Amino acid sequence: MPDLPQLNPVVHGRLRLALLSLLSGVEGAEFAWLRAKTEATDGNLGAQLLKLEEAGYVAVKKKFVLRKPQTLYRITKTGRQALAEYVQALKKLLGPAVDS
Amino acid sequence: MQDHTTEQELKERLSLIERMIAEGRRNTESWGWTFVLWGVAYYLAIAWSAWGHSVWAWPVTISIAVIVTVVVASLMAGKHPKTTLSRTIGSIWIALGISMFLLFPALGLSGRLTDQHLFVAVISAILGMANGASALILRWKVQFACAVVWWVAAVATCFGSDAQSTIVFLVAIFLCQILFGIYGVIAGAQERKRRVPIHA
Repeated sequence: MPDLPQLNPVVHGRLRLALLSLLSGVEGAEFAWLRAKTEATDGNLGAQLLKLEEAGYVAVKKKFVLRKPQTLYRITKTGRQALAEYVQALKKLLGPAVDS
Repeated sequence: MQDHTTEQELKERLSLIERMIAEGRRNTESWGWTFVLWGVAYYLAIAWSAWGHSVWAWPVTISIAVIVTVVVASLMAGKHPKTTLSRTIGSIWIALGISMFLLFPALGLSGRLTDQHLFVAVISAILGMANGASALILRWKVQFACAVVWWVAAVATCFGSDAQSTIVFLVAIFLCQILFGIYGVIAGAQERKRRVPIHA
């Protein structure tokens, strides 16, 4: 029996996976946009984004727009690669069940 | 995968990835208000120029609509992240705006904007092109139907009387700006309502 791939625990968390997937389709996103798309609480969202940032999967940039602070998040090259590897591992684990 | 629950969970993860990627790319419905705004602006300009007989009707109304669009769009810019798709669609509409903003004042100032049929035909064809391009990129049948209405209006106005040309233009504005814009706003609101919270 071939070795089954391990799923990256950082990516595997539902909210973290949702955040990485969301960020993979955009150039960068604000905290408020991510909150609206995931409908997660501020605390939970902040904590999961911090974990992704610590893993090097997400980069944070703070700036001021019309004198209001804005926190922009974008997926890094490492994050994109981790997401791609996670999807591959998921497909491998599911095998033929992936299309059902 | 022996455990059925685990398999279900993994499938759910896969579907979550697909849903979130699609969610990130979907930004068009948020622009429904611009269609309504421009539809109202066209109606105001037509009414003002018809009953007020003012040469300023179109330049003033359109300038105000441009300012409102730019201000609201810049306020919304932070709320909606940029994607290649949104940049492409945005570019089509910006290019359309620049074309109209240059062409119609130039035609007016040169005294060549005397034929109402030509005016309606050009404006309808340009709007048909922008809606058509956007609809083909987004694979959005409703917007493509709007493009078809504009193209029909562009052709029909060449043949009818002045009154018929006006009616064709008013109907096209109602269907493709007001009605389509309201549909866009409602579709966006429904999409937001359907969203389910994602927990860690």
